[in-house]
Amino acid sequence: MNNMSQVPVTVLTGFLGAGKTTLLNRILTEQHGQKYAVIVNEFGEQGIDNDLVVDADEEVFEMNNGCICCTVRGDLIRILGGLMKRADKLDAIIVETTGLADPAPVAQTFFVDQDVSDKTKLDAIVTVADAVHLSSQLGEHHEAEEQIAFADVVLLNKIDLVDDKAVKNVQTRIRKINPYAKIIKTNHCSAPLTEVLGLNAFSLDRVLEVEPDFLESDHDHEHDDDVTSLSFVSDTPLEMDKFQAWFGNLLQEKGQDILRSKGILNFEGRDDRYVFQGVHMLMDASPMGPWPAGKDRSSRVVFIGRNLETMNLQEGFEGCKVA
Amino acid sequence: MSDREKFLKEKISSLVPKETELESRGEHFDFQAPVTCSVTTSHSIAVGFGDGKVRFFFEGEKPRIIDAHNGVVLSIATNGEYIFTGGDDGRFLKLSQNGDIVEIANFNSRWVDYVAAYKDSMVCSSGRNVYIWSGDQKKAKSLEHSSTVGGLAFDYTGKRLAVSSYGGVTLWERGERRWTSKRLVWKGSHSKVGFSPDGKYIVTSMQESELHGWRLRNKVDLAMRGYPAKIKSFAWVGDTPHLATSGDHQAICWPFDGKDGPLGREPVCVADCGKQISTFIEPLTGEKAIFVGFNDGSVLLSELDENKNPFVIRNPKGSEISAIAISPNRSHILIGDSDGNILWSTLWKK
Repeated sequence: MNNMSQVPVTVLTGFLGAGKTTLLNRILTEQHGQKYAVIVNEFGEQGIDNDLVVDADEEVFEMNNGCICCTVRGDLIRILGGLMKRADKLDAIIVETTGLADPAPVAQTFFVDQDVSDKTKLDAIVTVADAVHLSSQLGEHHEAEEQIAFADVVLLNKIDLVDDKAVKNVQTRIRKINPYAKIIKTNHCSAPLTEVLGLNAFSLDRVLEVEPDFLESDHDHEHDDDVTSLSFVSDTPLEMDKFQAWFGNLLQEKGQDILRSKGILNFEGRDDRYVFQGVHMLMDASPMGPWPAGKDRSSRVVFIGRNLETMNLQEGFEGCKVA
Repeated sequence: MSDREKFLKEKISSLVPKETELESRGEHFDFQAPVTCSVTTSHSIAVGFGDGKVRFFFEGEKPRIIDAHNGVVLSIATNGEYIFTGGDDGRFLKLSQNGDIVEIANFNSRWVDYVAAYKDSMVCSSGRNVYIWSGDQKKAKSLEHSSTVGGLAFDYTGKRLAVSSYGGVTLWERGERRWTSKRLVWKGSHSKVGFSPDGKYIVTSMQESELHGWRLRNKVDLAMRGYPAKIKSFAWVGDTPHLATSGDHQAICWPFDGKDGPLGREPVCVADCGKQISTFIEPLTGEKAIFVGFNDGSVLLSELDENKNPFVIRNPKGSEISAIAISPNRSHILIGDSDGNILWSTLWKK
């Protein structure tokens, strides 16, 4: 997923009323000199009128082996294929999802379909969150949690309507679910578009910038269905065979509950950094050049998901260390 | 020129493949917009492009250009006389070879993905709906499906219409007063659909890089698997007939004769192109032979015989073959790719 000729696709999620349409209208009307296409869902909040708006039904298809990682957005495969036939090349494509959509099938489409991954690349998942209502939405709808969990960027919108303390609370709440998403505080989704589009967040080299807040690992639970994150660090090198066996098995068996995973790995006897990132059971991994000279070679992994505490992640990760 | 320059020039020219016969005698066009679809009418070949234009190629004439859509021409069909196009501008159009355009329907921001035509019937799909106009009807009959339509095809009688979608094919039959439907079920997402020439089988290509078929008499399922890529193109060839398919490093041709068709039988594999993946198949009209286009832009011509060597018709130009069509009286061939290059040539040496 690193080819320059691929058109970047930004996935825009967020609950109804959070401000997705405001952001889309900005993307379509601002003078930015870029050519964007926007794929909107049929339950859009209000009509957006523009030549480059495509109406879509969110059709989640199960590929016939029935595995969760092979649920994809069939309509996206069709529409992205059509957009790639345009004579005028697009600078970017934005996919709006309905408030209650699970972002996983959208992301998985880019891993599973060859034509889609040849010509386009998933740029980032951007979640618009309503500072007033996010806390209650997180408690009531697991989709809201998922949208935060999958996000590379959270646009925390409508902060003018709440006080500083409430903003802080909701930020803490977001951090607990997703320690590495970039949080941008805005009113009327007024963030610069350069902070929302063209982020290349799904490119493996961006994983090198993963700096989760390790100190904030918090294990309080309101109920078992909570999405949380866990991260681990090791200064002892890992054994490649052991890691592959453990991690492969983990994704196979628990991939349904692991929403996203990322990591940088230091394998015994290898000079290259190994980087991976995954969505449920699907994963992209590759060596990403040698470790910088004079810096510590430490392995770091992050998991975001449900029931993480039942997966013996700590033990599993420790077990990969060179004895 | 120094010896070294001479040496380099010779070296380089020995690396560039020689022009094929067709390339040297044909006309070359670069239309700067992807070739998206093509169809052979009773007088010409009509080609759709990614900039909304349709070009008609007549034997011995310059191509005629029609500004049809405000966007991509997504699909094309003909009833012999007129052509019908669907576009990402939401319009379903009827075009005459003289350049007259009639807008049959406009779905605005909903694309017209697929079209089909048979005599005085014209059909298009937009989203989950299929719209049929028959005879002089001004208003379309609308047929709804449970998910977005992936392909449309009439059988040779024009009385049956196959509509593929998620989970199978809906087979519509034209009755005295209305259309009735039967559902052919197979898990997964189905796109391109076609009837066998005798109307006994329906075949679809699937998201899972395989083909699915149904023998209509008793709904027996046929699964044709083992492809490394999605099957973007298939066509019926010869009297057997064979179903020649893309999606592999060669063309995979399944026999559909006998009682059970390809059930339990090996396909014929021809036109091997090494690492490349085939993307377009077009039969050489009246022969047991096919033109096979590949993702690097090369085109081979092969008989359906594994012991015969294929001919190189077009050298790789870098982008995927997205159209091959033979002119109505079999005198010319048109080859188009996804960069907008067209090769238009006589088929036979003068």
